Amino acid sequence: MFIHYHMTPTPTTMHPEQTVAEAIELLACFPFRHIPLVDDEGVLQGIVSDRDLRSAKPSSVAQSSQRAMVESKVMQTRLSQIMSTNCRTLSAMATVDDALFLFEANAIGALPILDDERRLIGIFTIGDLLKAYKTMFGVGERGAAMISIVDDGDPRIMSKLIGIMEEKNVHCTRLLRKSATRRTKAMIYLRVNTYNTRAVQKAIEAAGYEIHVPYSAV
Amino acid sequence: MRHGSSLILVTDPAYSRHDTGGGEHPEIPERLQVIRDAFDHSPFAQSIHILLPRPASRAELLSFHDEAWLFRFEEAVLSGRTYVDHPDNQVCYESYSIATLSAGAGLSGIDRIEQDAGQDIIFCLTRPPGHHAEANHPLGFCFFNNCVIAARYWQNRYGRNRVAVLDFDAHHGNGIQSALESEPDTCYISIHEHPSFSYPGTGWEEERGLGAGKGTVLNLPLPPGAGEEQVRRLLPKIRSFFEEMQPEALIIGAGFDAHVEDEMSGLAFSTPLYTELGRFIFELGRDFCSNRVLSILEGGYHLPRLGESAAAYIAGLLKDD
Ligand SMILES: [Zn+2]
Repeated sequence: MFIHYHMTPTPTTMHPEQTVAEAIELLACFPFRHIPLVDDEGVLQGIVSDRDLRSAKPSSVAQSSQRAMVESKVMQTRLSQIMSTNCRTLSAMATVDDALFLFEANAIGALPILDDERRLIGIFTIGDLLKAYKTMFGVGERGAAMISIVDDGDPRIMSKLIGIMEEKNVHCTRLLRKSATRRTKAMIYLRVNTYNTRAVQKAIEAAGYEIHVPYSAV
Repeated sequence: MRHGSSLILVTDPAYSRHDTGGGEHPEIPERLQVIRDAFDHSPFAQSIHILLPRPASRAELLSFHDEAWLFRFEEAVLSGRTYVDHPDNQVCYESYSIATLSAGAGLSGIDRIEQDAGQDIIFCLTRPPGHHAEANHPLGFCFFNNCVIAARYWQNRYGRNRVAVLDFDAHHGNGIQSALESEPDTCYISIHEHPSFSYPGTGWEEERGLGAGKGTVLNLPLPPGAGEEQVRRLLPKIRSFFEEMQPEALIIGAGFDAHVEDEMSGLAFSTPLYTELGRFIFELGRDFCSNRVLSILEGGYHLPRLGESAAAYIAGLLKDD
């Protein structure tokens, strides 16, 4: 869950005294969309995104005679003049959940990760967040299937389910319990690593639990 | 029934000796027997011919698989192991050589298609199945990827580079997608139960191919419970995909575990739906591939429905206008 394991370490950086032109060139060559700006000691000064760079350029409706002049001026602009300085950051000991809340509450796409001296050690993007949760829940893991079980409130249901998996020698990689909402029943999600999901379902049903089938009559 | 077409069954008695250990394992020799029985009691019983396959050569296996996997597989069975990597992948002492014979069925079938100019219906009645097998490991009862090895053979032996693989098994053929997704000439179309619910958890609609192969993968996941109505809606999509890809040869991953009574998937296909699929596939083959269509058995585990569904599929392939 620590951000340290999911961030991109030592990301490409620029110096705040470099120009917009250089930043545009850099983003054109790489798939990322954020550039952290650091001083000579590696201390974070700000961040620029492709959006900041786009909005620094003159709008297309500007008079064509002035446009070239404005554009060349913009291209020479120092990044320190357009960067976000009060950007949100996290420490390496922060968690993926911290990042989730920050992304949710702020319209940002990337979080610089800093050490105690505010030196940049990594960057964590929304893409990294998705990947982290994907790994955590095992989404797209080859060779797995998910079984949904209605949570009947049995206080020992979790241990019983695991017991069944052990007894049947089924490799189970995730067990997740979720309480009811207005739209869904209380549910337990079990990710198993076997083709023979029917045998698993039968064993669970034999123990008296209900397999939730995610459709009624399609 | 179409005049003059025979059903060529590429099959070998050795397939029944691939022993998956009994117990609750669903991939059992009886699967082939129920299909044979259903065919023998079908309206096309009189037009069945048996073609004994040759084993796939080492070079042909290596057209997809890694040498290391071949060694590992062979070593595992010869040393008496009962499964490879995962208890799903049960083996017996003979499983390696039987798997090479299973992979060979498609190759013998292709030779036949190329000789008789697509006149006959070719069905590889074979096991172990193949579509989950990856280049370097087995998965989901599959050891060698029969469909991929056949596609490579069609390319290498007959120069038919534009091979399409259409897989209507209830499960996504992850191994076929891995093999073909980065290349521009081949394509893979799969109808399967949605990966959020179903084994092997792959086959997302968003995956359309990689790099030079962008646009060559068509994943068509269906929600649990989907049947005729949902499948019919997919057919025009598959047809226009063929118009785009213009394949010259077609391999069918013919699995029958999407049947409503087959508990290995939540899909709810009816038996007559397989006739519709057979008819649709015949038309694809006729309109795009000069009838060069090779069907290879994949899954299907409900014994009575398996025989019936496979016979329904063949009836569709053979159906007259
Ligand atoms: Zn299957």
